[in-house]
Parts: sequence; structure tokens; C-alpha cells
Amino acid sequence: MSLPSLAEVEHSDWPSLQRMCETLGLNPKGRSAIVRMRVADYVRHRAHPPSWRPAREHQAALLTRLGHPDLAERVWESTIQLEAPAPRVGLGHAQLAGGFLAEAAKSFARAAQMGDASGELHRAEALAAGGDYQGAATACETYLATHARDLRALLMKSSFLARSGFEEEANKVLHTAAELHPEVALIRRTLGLALLRTGHHAAAADALQEAVHRDPKDVDAVVGRGAALLLAGRTREAIGVLREALEIDPKRADALNNLGVAYRAMGRTKSAAVNLERAAKHRESPRILLNLGKVLEEAHEPAEAVRAYEQVLKLRPKDSEAVAGRKRVGVSAKARRTPRKRVASPRKAAPTTRRKTTPSSEATTS
Amino acid sequence: MTLPSETTGRFLPSVDRLENTMRAARRAFDHGDLEGALREDDVAIQLKPEYDAAWLLRGHIFRKDGNIPGAIEAFAQALKINGESQEGWLGLASALHEVGRFEEEGEAYDRLLKIHPRSIEAWIDKGAALHALGDYREAIACYDKVLGMRPEHAAAWNNKGAALLRLGDDAGAARCMDEALHLDPDFYDAMANRVLLYRKMKRHGETVFWADRALRFREAPWLWYVKGTAHLGLRESTLAMKAFERALALDPKSKEARAGLRKAKTLHQTKDFYRGVYECFGTLLVGDPGCEECEIRARCREVTT
Repeated sequence: MSLPSLAEVEHSDWPSLQRMCETLGLNPKGRSAIVRMRVADYVRHRAHPPSWRPAREHQAALLTRLGHPDLAERVWESTIQLEAPAPRVGLGHAQLAGGFLAEAAKSFARAAQMGDASGELHRAEALAAGGDYQGAATACETYLATHARDLRALLMKSSFLARSGFEEEANKVLHTAAELHPEVALIRRTLGLALLRTGHHAAAADALQEAVHRDPKDVDAVVGRGAALLLAGRTREAIGVLREALEIDPKRADALNNLGVAYRAMGRTKSAAVNLERAAKHRESPRILLNLGKVLEEAHEPAEAVRAYEQVLKLRPKDSEAVAGRKRVGVSAKARRTPRKRVASPRKAAPTTRRKTTPSSEATTS
Repeated sequence: MTLPSETTGRFLPSVDRLENTMRAARRAFDHGDLEGALREDDVAIQLKPEYDAAWLLRGHIFRKDGNIPGAIEAFAQALKINGESQEGWLGLASALHEVGRFEEEGEAYDRLLKIHPRSIEAWIDKGAALHALGDYREAIACYDKVLGMRPEHAAAWNNKGAALLRLGDDAGAARCMDEALHLDPDFYDAMANRVLLYRKMKRHGETVFWADRALRFREAPWLWYVKGTAHLGLRESTLAMKAFERALALDPKSKEARAGLRKAKTLHQTKDFYRGVYECFGTLLVGDPGCEECEIRARCREVTT
């Protein structure tokens, strides 16, 4: 015989209640509220208790995730034992979620002292959340002293070092991680992109080449390699790689932009303009639009160039490059726009001093 | 100097021993071996006299053993060492409660609430202390604090209901008790408070119903007595006699129960109504489908006020 649920009992009408009483062998007589209570009592006392009930630790962890760190903190505090580091870690996370960063760091440090080495990694997160990236990197180092191969710790340390301004050191840590874990393709890509950001273009191209070798469909790595080659001056190779990237994902705005810049460097202005226009269609970025403006200038399309510069000024009203570009080509564009119908009164033609401009296009590295 | 082999790895040779002793004391306490727990705890205090956890445990041991002054002293000592210990303040306050020192108990909660303003236990216990001192409005403020943080706290609803009942707000008290029993249908204290509320309202049918429910969980002579008087109101002399007899069996010195029994016997000679299967007798609700079908409806209408 299956029991009705408490919700059914609570919401059933009088005939259903009586039927329930009949089925369960209960007295069906009396005021409806009393009969309902009788059935509910029966169900409550006979229904199987749930096989799993959350312990205080589970409740505390759930409270943190549900966005009640203050309540979670209190529950974690009640679970703290003399020799167990886990509640300290949980407490630290609740404090971290509540914005009490110093307290969180202390709780994690206490967990680490009690023997849970991962406490140091949690402490690193708390310190980083407070902006102390150097402290965070040091905490990672403490953890790595006993867990030298730990990938998470290595990546965290590298990230904290980079954020505290020690980019070369961050790259070294990534190198170590890549050597210790050659099976993880992602590290090569991360290393390549980090090298690209720090200006080591040739090394970046090599690292990204390895990442692509492991996973040829890794479009981020391919695009990054294209940018690295372009910045390293290997333009022809860059064009090939960027075209490969666009075969994988034809809508990658950064690849289209870089390809445009590469074509321009090769003197193929028309191809450059086509790719930059496509890039601008996919992503309205000031950098792409500036590149497009410069290429259009070179292609002797001043009106289009002015339009590109004006688009940049809509996004960044005081962009100096766009202002200069518009000023540079503004007059001739206006001249082209004004129809020749109007007969101008004869005036002395002013000598036009053609300014020699070589607008530099820039590749985007990310 | 050569350290004993088991401690050579530690900076402080006594830490291992202290931890082991405390663990043994806790284990003995958990198993109900108060003597053993006290013995181990004494050793821990000798090893480290300023060890607040050892003093706290000592307080708990004394409290469980009924040595309340000793417990108060131990908790106070723990608080001297660590004035921010929630366990210490709660232990001290509950020990003070047991000896009826409600004002000091309230002060202990105030101190704790300064350190932990969101301590549910402190707020609810402070409310109970104020209730005991007769300051019902302040007690309600404490319960409202708890309900602000934990609206599902059945005990806070019940305590608020009890305080409102004392203040004469019967409707408010009924609402709070409804909440408490909705959240915990087997909450004895809320049932007992409901009995008192219905008795005050002279609703004998409901009084009997809720007294019956409460008595399923725990017997108390006063509950049997109240049930007996409600049966008298419903003209159920046999049931009234049984209730008073049970009250007297539990508390033979109860003069009220004896007087009630006499009244029930006198009534028995003239009237005795038999309610049969209707445990709701005396709670008639016009229009209710159950009441419409009831065989003793006419009699129920007469006794339902």
C-alpha cells in the first residue's frame, strides 16, 4: 500500500480525505481539519525517512554556494574540531564569499598548519582577491615546495606573478609546467600567448606551433601563432597560418584583422581592406577600424577612410589616431563629396603640400 | 637533553600528551563516564592551566553531574582565558539559568551578543531569560531577532506565542503557535501552549484535542488536570474522572486534581456524555463537511462555545 504525500493530504478535498482514511484504515469521522491532521500524522510517522540527510558540513557548504556566507560561517564554526583542517577551509571560503579576506587568509593558514597543504593554495586565492598578488605567489610557492608537480599550483603561481608585474618569472613558471606536464596541450598555448604578450614573438611562435601540433583544431593557438609570426616579421608564414585559422573559424575578427595587417605589410592593400572590413563587421573594435581607416587611406578611398575614423570616434570620442586620420583625409573627402555642379568663383589654387604619411597598422595580439 | 622518543619530532614535548589527554576526556564525557572525564580533564589542566577548552569541558562535566556552582566557576575560568568563547558564555548562561540567576544569565547573553551579534542560541536563550523575569516585550524583541534571521525556527515561534499569551494577545499567540506547529507538528511545547491558550479562551473541545496530542508525547500532571476540567466543561464526566485520576497518579498531592475528581464524580451522577469516535467533539464548525455528516452534531453545537 502506497502512502499519499503530505502535499496530497494537505490539499485533498473531503471525499478524497475519506477515501484515504478508508485505504489506510483510519477513523474517517469528525471535522475535516481533524481528519486531515489524523491522516497527515499517519503519513508523517510511517513514511520512510530520507536515506540521506545533510550534515552540518553539507549545509554550510551549500549555504556558501547559495549566497549566504554569513550563515555558512556560523555553521562552519560549529563544525570546527581540534584536529580537522577541513572545516577551517570551509570557513575560509565562507569568509572569502562574505568579503572578509584577512579572516579567510587566516582560516586557510590555520588549515595549512593543521596539515592540509592545499590550505596554502586557498590562502593564495584569498590574498589575490585582496590584491596581494606577490603574497599569493609566495603562498603558491610554499605549496609547491611539497607538491612540485602540481599543475594547478604552477598555473596559479604564474598567473599571480604576471598580475604582480613579474611577467618574465611567470613565463618561467609556465615553462616549468609545460616541461613537467607535456601531455597537457593547453599549457603550451598558455605559454605561447604569455610569450606573445611579453614581446618574445619568435619563442611564442614556437610554443604555439607545438600547441597546434598537439591539437590542430585549437583555433586560439593558430590565431596566436599567426600574430606571433606577423610580429616576428615572418609575414608570408603569418598569412598562411592566419588563413588556416580562418578555415577553422571564418568569423574570427582578430584573425581577419591580423591577416589584413599582414596583407598591407606585403603591399596588397585591396586584400588588406577586404579582410579588415570583414573583421570590423564581426567586431566593432577601435583598433580594427583604425587599421581599416589607414588601409583605405592608402587605397585612395578617403571618404571610406573618414567613415572608419568617424566610427572609431563614436566608440572613443577623443581617440587621437582617429582625430589625426580624419584631419588628414577630411579635406579631400569633402572635396569628393561636394558635387562639381557648383561653379566656384575662380580662385587661386593654393599649393597643396602633400604630407607624407605612413600610417602604421597594428596587429592585434589577442 | 634527550627527549622521549615519541616527542622528538615536536617542538613542545607536552603538546602530544595534552592533545591525547583532552581527546580521552572528551571521549569519556561522550560515553557518560563523568568521573573518567574529570580525571583526564584535571590532567589536561595540570599540563596547561590556561587551557580554555579544558575548563569548558570541566564546566560541562560539572553541569551534567549537577554541580552547578562548580560549572559556573569552570565556565568563568574558561572565559577569563578566552573572553570570546561562544561555548563559554552559553555554558555559563545555562548554568546560571539552572540556579535561577536570570538577570546574570541575561548579562551573559548580552556579553556574548556583543561578540557574536548573530548568535541564534544567544538571542533565543536571552528571550527565555527575559520571559522568566516577566519582561515579555523585550523577550518578544529577542524572538523577532531570531525569526528575522531564521524564519523557520519553530522554537522561536513557540516562545513568541507564549510571550504574547502572557501579554493577553490571544490572536497573536494563536498565529505564532500555528507557525510553530506547522514547522514542527510534533513540537510538544507548542502543543502545551496551545492547550493553555484554548483553556484561557474556554474552548473545551480544542483544549481536550490538543491536550490529547501533547500527552501522546509526554505525560504531565497539569496537562491531565487541564484535560479533566475541559471534559467537565463538555459534560463528559467519565473522561473527566479518568483524567483527574491520572493526574493524581502522577502527582498524588495535587489538591486541584482531587477537587476536580470530586466534581467529576458529582457530575457523573447526573450527566455523562459519550463522544464515541469523535475526537473533535466540542469543536463544531458550521459548514464543515465533516461536521455536516456528524451523528452527535446537535450535542456538539450545545457545548461548542
